[in-house]
Amino acid sequence: MTWIYQGITLILILFVGWNLFREKRLAEQMVAAIVLIPLILRVLMIR
Amino acid sequence: MTSEKKRQYGSVWTALGLLVLVGVVLLIVSHDFLAMRVDPPIYPGAGVTRVVRLSSYSQAVVNTGADTDIYFLEGNEPGGTVLLLGGTHPNEPAASLAAITVIENAVVKKGRFIVIPRANHSAFTYSEPLEGYPQTYTIETSGGSRIFRYGSRATNPIDQWPDPVIYMNTSGQSLAGAEVRNLNRSYPGNEHGYLTERLAYAIVSLIKQEKVDMAIDLHEASPEYPVINTIVAHERALDIAAEASMLLEFEGMDIGVERSPKNLRGLSHREWGDATDTLALLMEAANPAQGRLRGRTDQALIVTGKDKYYVRAAEHGFLYVPFSEAGHPVEERVGRHLQAFSTLVDVFNEHHQDRSVIATGIPHLSQLLHDGLGAYLAPPKS
Repeated sequence: MTWIYQGITLILILFVGWNLFREKRLAEQMVAAIVLIPLILRVLMIR
Repeated sequence: MTSEKKRQYGSVWTALGLLVLVGVVLLIVSHDFLAMRVDPPIYPGAGVTRVVRLSSYSQAVVNTGADTDIYFLEGNEPGGTVLLLGGTHPNEPAASLAAITVIENAVVKKGRFIVIPRANHSAFTYSEPLEGYPQTYTIETSGGSRIFRYGSRATNPIDQWPDPVIYMNTSGQSLAGAEVRNLNRSYPGNEHGYLTERLAYAIVSLIKQEKVDMAIDLHEASPEYPVINTIVAHERALDIAAEASMLLEFEGMDIGVERSPKNLRGLSHREWGDATDTLALLMEAANPAQGRLRGRTDQALIVTGKDKYYVRAAEHGFLYVPFSEAGHPVEERVGRHLQAFSTLVDVFNEHHQDRSVIATGIPHLSQLLHDGLGAYLAPPKS
């Protein structure tokens, strides 16, 4: 179950990361960067 | 159109810059979060004869975040066995601190104590930042500051995920989904269930294998919670609890007794008593840091137990304990637990002279109020 959870989180990270580079508005890039933080913490099982 | 373009400012370079910033933030917060997984040291006193892991009683928790240390304090003479459990809910610090005080001070002459200071070890490894709780609190000792973790009520989601929408515990009671990570709703446990159920199973296995005569689960509760400053007793332990309560009242300590409800399943005072031969008891002290009426939530509130909003709530009769400007400091809460623990052991000894447990060195409430808790905790060692 945890592997599925981590897999879903990883996919989300890839989408948000892709959006970070594709987005031209700085404010939206900042939002994407902030969203990445908890996702990365969870995929690494830190928090 | 031109003004819209001017407002964009984003590029691959800003994305890369933000990614570096994310990396820096991750490094800082990871250091903090991972530090929560390092146990603050406990310094066993002269009475501790051995320390074992809970996983030695059940493979169900081996190599998991739920495995925890168990301290044995054994006398030279054979006698009974008393289990003391702290840290079932790590956001109830007086419970864990009372168990640690026994480990660092008590010497058993006859029989033995088994003490688990961090019963839900996993729940000590994270805090609840949305509640404003600090990750640690400090107790001053004669030789420096001891830092303790302020954890959460339930098992770390890193160790047990996901929560079901509704949790039906091993005793068949339906509860809110998050209660699946609450140790004190998971008894008697399940060897192959959720991690918290496996932890409960391991603790029940310990009670059975060590033939524990009396088991006491220490807790704290918010001042507006009706079951407070109370001993909750399984029906087989009711006589001991009632007699201990009367003795404590004679000594000036106000403490009630409640019979463990038969339809409240999954709790230690019910399931330990039903699933094993032990005399099952649970005790509650008043911790304003847990309450919904509290004001600023910080280390000072945890340690001093002072809160002006609770003083006002008491004036309006909203609380189940008296609450003055003096608050309910950690010395008082730990002292209540320790004095009640000693008295319960004394009463147990009167009822079971062949299985008595005799110990020295456990400080009483008046000593803790006079000397402070730090006087009974070992100074930190480098």
